[in-house]
Amino acid sequence: MFYPKRYDVVVIGGGHAGCEASLIAARMGMKTLLITINLDSIGAMSCNPAIGGLAKGHLVKEVDMLGGEMARNIDETGLQFKILNKSKGPAVWSSRAQADMPAYRLRMKHIMEHQDNLDMKQATVDEILEENGKVVGVKTNIGNEYLCSAVVVTTGTFMKGKVFIGLNEYSAGRAWEPPSIKLSDSLRSLGLRIGRLKTGTTPRLDARTINFNALEPQFGDENPAPFSFKTENFNRPNIPCYLAYTNEKTHNIILSNLDQSPLYSGMVSSLGPRYCPSIEDKVVRFYDKPRHQIFLEPQDEGSTEIYADGLHTSLGYEVQLAFLRSIKGLEDVEIMRPGYAIDYDFVDPTQLKHSLETKKIHGLFLAGQINGTSGYEEAAAQGIIAGINAALYIQDRDPLILRRDEAYTGVLIDDLVTKGTKEPYRMFTSRAEYRLLLREDNTQLRLAKKAYDLSLIDKTDFERIEETEQKIEESVYKLKNTFVFPTAAFNQKLKELGTEIIKTKTDLAKLLRRVEIQYDTLKKLIPDLGELNSFIKQEVEIQIKYEGYFKLQYQQIEKFRKYESLIIPKNFDYNKVGGLSNEVRGKLMDIRPESIGQAMRMPGVTPAAVSLLLIYMKRDERKIKSSA
Amino acid sequence: MHDDIIAAIATGYVESAIAVIRVSGYGCYDILKKIFSRKKINFEDKRIYYGHILDENGSIVDEVLVSIFRSPHSYTGEDSFEISCHGGLMVSNAVLQIVLNNGARMARPGEFTKRAFLNGKMDLSQAEAVAKVISAKSSRALHIAQLQLKGNFSNEIGEIRKDILLLLAENEVNIDYVDEELSDFSKEKRLSMVNNIYERLSSILRASQSGKSLFDGMKISIVGKPNVGKSSLLNKIIGIDRSIVTDIPGTTRDVVSEQITIKGIPFTLLDTAGIRKSSDDVIENLGIERTVDAIKKSDIILALFDLSSQLNEEDYDIINRLQKNSNRVIAILNKYDKKSGLFNKGIIPFKRQIQISCKTGYGLEELANELEEIAIGNIADSDIVSMNASQITILKQGMKLCKDLLNDIKGDIDPALISVEITGLIDILDEIIGKITTEDMLDVMFRNFCVGK
Repeated sequence: MFYPKRYDVVVIGGGHAGCEASLIAARMGMKTLLITINLDSIGAMSCNPAIGGLAKGHLVKEVDMLGGEMARNIDETGLQFKILNKSKGPAVWSSRAQADMPAYRLRMKHIMEHQDNLDMKQATVDEILEENGKVVGVKTNIGNEYLCSAVVVTTGTFMKGKVFIGLNEYSAGRAWEPPSIKLSDSLRSLGLRIGRLKTGTTPRLDARTINFNALEPQFGDENPAPFSFKTENFNRPNIPCYLAYTNEKTHNIILSNLDQSPLYSGMVSSLGPRYCPSIEDKVVRFYDKPRHQIFLEPQDEGSTEIYADGLHTSLGYEVQLAFLRSIKGLEDVEIMRPGYAIDYDFVDPTQLKHSLETKKIHGLFLAGQINGTSGYEEAAAQGIIAGINAALYIQDRDPLILRRDEAYTGVLIDDLVTKGTKEPYRMFTSRAEYRLLLREDNTQLRLAKKAYDLSLIDKTDFERIEETEQKIEESVYKLKNTFVFPTAAFNQKLKELGTEIIKTKTDLAKLLRRVEIQYDTLKKLIPDLGELNSFIKQEVEIQIKYEGYFKLQYQQIEKFRKYESLIIPKNFDYNKVGGLSNEVRGKLMDIRPESIGQAMRMPGVTPAAVSLLLIYMKRDERKIKSSA
Repeated sequence: MHDDIIAAIATGYVESAIAVIRVSGYGCYDILKKIFSRKKINFEDKRIYYGHILDENGSIVDEVLVSIFRSPHSYTGEDSFEISCHGGLMVSNAVLQIVLNNGARMARPGEFTKRAFLNGKMDLSQAEAVAKVISAKSSRALHIAQLQLKGNFSNEIGEIRKDILLLLAENEVNIDYVDEELSDFSKEKRLSMVNNIYERLSSILRASQSGKSLFDGMKISIVGKPNVGKSSLLNKIIGIDRSIVTDIPGTTRDVVSEQITIKGIPFTLLDTAGIRKSSDDVIENLGIERTVDAIKKSDIILALFDLSSQLNEEDYDIINRLQKNSNRVIAILNKYDKKSGLFNKGIIPFKRQIQISCKTGYGLEELANELEEIAIGNIADSDIVSMNASQITILKQGMKLCKDLLNDIKGDIDPALISVEITGLIDILDEIIGKITTEDMLDVMFRNFCVGK
């Protein structure tokens, strides 16, 4: 049956990508429908009870700046907050929080339920409806057809998901939920290439059976900062995780039961993530390591269920229990849910544009794990971009595309659509070549303008951010143009502060570049320097201390942008380009890079091939000119 | 988009009277200002300036004519200039090297032509031709690069690549995985890795500069007993060279060396003054002394014997002293025209033997061939020389970055900044060691460090 209400956007799946996509589409005024297999699982955290982490914290803050919910949601439901890498430079500081999983899920559901323009329905989508290369709706397993102009597919691990625990296997989307069987066939029939990936998770333990006294507690920061720029009155608990270690006995149990592993017995052949290997993998590959760390993380404030981070496994139930009980502090442990591996269908993301719309079907957007990524934060970042772009598509406006020099989200999407992926893709700071400039602390300054232009943030917020930016610039200018002189009195003060004396006229910026000097130190020297709030102070310090490196990155970015701005015409005929090898030609025709810059990042495309492209592009241009 | 400055020897890598180094790209006159002896010139379009190219110490490298072609009146359509210098690989490479040291980069195959086309300097119908040139030349460049990689350095290069990757992966794993127990490299280990990279780079540099160097030139000495014909041989060898480039006083007391080129390959003749002087002396007792000296300093020793008479004790003494270094010796059997039959060739233990006559010129061509063979070995493609010019620059830049890196690791600076330097090192070495991608780095990271909590 045709459902009478017509929607602008239909989002399939209520995970972290689906939540952001549907919320933002609705917030942009689109009549939006979220269809999910289980309404009680909206915003569920299927794996670890944490948000953020290295490079992921950056993504969360970017989502926040674009009008997303993830940051706000963790700020309201986190159990401990921490800035990672604080001992290193500001470019690699990352926020991470432990989450109260049920509270996180329920708050997200609550927000969704109260969002204007957003409807939610429990159903399984079997088919994407398409006419003349355009999406027109979706059809569910009980035959309901919902008409719409754009669809965002965020199915996570659900498409033809198969769970493995030891030698048992069964079809599931998550260990305890049904899979989506037919949707990937529908996508395949629309001409999309489908592949298979694997991931896994750890056993969940009963807190009452763990001897926490034998373990080392780990707390978050004492005065933590929230994720969201909107969060006020931030006051969350600081509940510890616990550190435990595997030992030789644990390793022996695992090694002698590898025949019980679906991965080692050959039942699963799809590729899993190397960055998050199973405990079997760790023990086999790093056999000389005497112990591996395990982090026991609370899943909720009452801490009844404990997530055993570091123990991803798909070994059989008995083996899991045996090796767990060999660990100090877990001698009497009971498993509440076993660890498992899951493999699932994903869509080769090189079939997407940077907007996350498929190249083949207009109005069909994909986001999250379906694109070969892993992680809540990676999913949310894609979700919000897909949601925004679905709305912009309907409004017939240019898509929002974040470049590699603007956001981690830009790096993530560009990597996916340009290079594809062979394992579940996870964000790392090392993937961002302009890492020094893409910091968590300057997310607002990087993205506020774009967000405001699309009305994703309020005018008051935007004006406040602009004001801050101006204040930073003024302060930096002032420090560069305030001079001190090597008088005996001044040098005496420097000595007292434990830093070297100056010999010539020096500006304050130069003093601030010294490792031991902060803005507050300067204030001691020059009392009327002006009061700055802690954020502005930090930005000023970063900008001045790292100025040389930033300049270098700006130069690189300038070069990068030049190549990005050389747009390859959509209908460019690669067959005409003489001198290209068949392999390179095939790749170019498949990916159809949008710019010369993107072509250069494709694996296997040589500088010579790029030269040839340029020449033929130029020739076409001239032909057009001379015939005009 | 073509804002970088490219340079290459436009006349190719052949022996010629004049060579032209072409430099193109906006900002190229800044380079010229730095390296040209006449500082007050404005370099007007379509003018030719006479002057000298100076090295970084201000010493004269060559006497040249510089032609100015301002945009759009140039081959490429960009600001450009051409340096006409003396022919011969040593000089033209030295001039190119100076241009590269001052901010230009080596042009890629077909790049001048490509720029010319992109700047509208060529007819539309030439696009295909340009395309063919680029694909042909780049496969040739690849071929040359592969040839080089097959050489003696392939192991070292592989090791350097491995080390840099490991260094980067180690640095990155400690940034991207914070609260895990990773096999933390000690500072000492990281410093020794960088030192090791530095040493390997400098050994490549040394090898490319001494052994088979086509830049400094291999060093040749002539030894032999008095009156065997050393000075005539010297004159004949110098005669092979059409232009004596410089006459540089040597570093040791009265040793004077002369730079010559034979078949386009530079050589340095050692102690030519000694030979000239001794030829006038009736009593010469420098023979043995010179032989000992030559063994120490030379890459190639020309041991001269007289075919017209029997070997005497002095000859045997020289032979004995040279025997341990026989692989560097060419036995020159002189006075072929007066061959007496008294000479017992079998007694000369050197594999390389050439019969010549300084009087008639017989055998000189064979000697030239032999010298070329030793210098270039079986690397036939003369373009390899041209790659060396830029590679040496790259090597030196890489070595400098290693030094920076050592300081910064010692100073415990922010690992995110260390990464910038390591990546910089990788960028620099890309041409030599091949492109390293993020994926390569991640491979090494996951292989070597047990990550993932």
